[in-house]
Amino acid sequence: MSNQSIQSENKPNNDEPVGNKGSAVAKRLQKELMALMMSSEKSVSAFPEDSNFFRWKATIVGPKETPYENQKYRLSIEFPNNYPYTAPTCKFTTPCFHPNIDISTGMLCLDILKEKWSALYDVRTILLSIQSLLSEPNNDSPLNSNAASLWDKKAEYKKYLDQFYEKNKDT
Amino acid sequence: MSSSQTTTVNDPHLDNTTTTNNDTLPNNNSQEPSTSTDSSQYRSSTQYSFKPPPENSKTSTKPDLDDNEEEKRDDSMYVCNICLDIAKESVITMCGHLFCWPCLNCWLETKPQRQLCPVCKAAISKDKVVPLYGRNNEKQQDPRSKKSPPRPQAQRTEPDNSQNYQGFQSFGDAGFHLSFGIGAFPFVFFGSSFNFNDIRQRNGQNGSQFEEDQFLSKVFLWVAIIFFCWLILA
Ligand SMILES: [Zn+2]
Ligand SMILES: [Zn+2]
Repeated sequence: MSNQSIQSENKPNNDEPVGNKGSAVAKRLQKELMALMMSSEKSVSAFPEDSNFFRWKATIVGPKETPYENQKYRLSIEFPNNYPYTAPTCKFTTPCFHPNIDISTGMLCLDILKEKWSALYDVRTILLSIQSLLSEPNNDSPLNSNAASLWDKKAEYKKYLDQFYEKNKDT
Repeated sequence: MSSSQTTTVNDPHLDNTTTTNNDTLPNNNSQEPSTSTDSSQYRSSTQYSFKPPPENSKTSTKPDLDDNEEEKRDDSMYVCNICLDIAKESVITMCGHLFCWPCLNCWLETKPQRQLCPVCKAAISKDKVVPLYGRNNEKQQDPRSKKSPPRPQAQRTEPDNSQNYQGFQSFGDAGFHLSFGIGAFPFVFFGSSFNFNDIRQRNGQNGSQFEEDQFLSKVFLWVAIIFFCWLILA
């Protein structure tokens, strides 16, 4: 014990605050996967892509009583090496017509994935937040201004969205 | 509470002769036990914590199971909010949220400018977390003093810039700029008040003592600031 503390005292510790944490990240991701698989939540799901535990595929079903009802969107989630201290990168891989989602890149604008990120959030809470973003867009800082301006015209929005979804959805 | 229940629960704690008596004379339970249970109950309650659970009696399995279930439920309460594992080197924030010290330390280091509790977003700082000591922690060592020590250590001889900087973080930028320009003296001054703080905290983690320390370090700070204003003006 004393040896360890001496070693760590001699070693400068501020250059790499999150060094060698790969296994800890994998462990946490495993726990998240377990929790996701055990949960009864059916509207969101996620699973690691092939053998890479740091890249997941996720699906979100559009929330009920919104224009996105019954639509299914795929996303990719990429975890950084210092997850959960930094937020993962989430992208829609199914093109999504929405004020806060970039129609071509799939990038989305969500505060909890940026300045409001907390180590407490996990895949499940992220996906549920994205799901609720679908029903409650933030029209003040749109990535898709067409969608933002159309949002208030419910019927038109729904019509355009349905067409767009049918054209772009995964099979 | 029926008398038969109390006797069966107490059985394992009685010596062999009395248990065989109870086993062979189950019908007597209704009449006799009032006197015997009183004494055995007292004995069992004092003995229970020291005795390992008895192996071969059927009656003892039931309370054992309850214990396990309780343990499982309790375990989930002690999961670190960051690594999602049972918290190691546990510390608790002033807002009451539990973390492993390495996990929380990492979180604070990734966001040095905005130190917020990951759970409730309350403002937190390394100096204001309370280490938790369980019964079987022989060392009772402040987890914060292990590995990446966040605070200046009393024994360290060479003055290290990064050390002093840590002290200033909690006082805000103004104090830092002010003293940085003037020289080494404030570092010594703050250093001493911090070490004092440190030692007292390790001796006993009393709420009032903690507040007193806070107050003391604030007094030291203000005295230092006034002194410097005087130095500059004079
Ligand atoms: Zn932890
Ligand atoms: Zn908190």
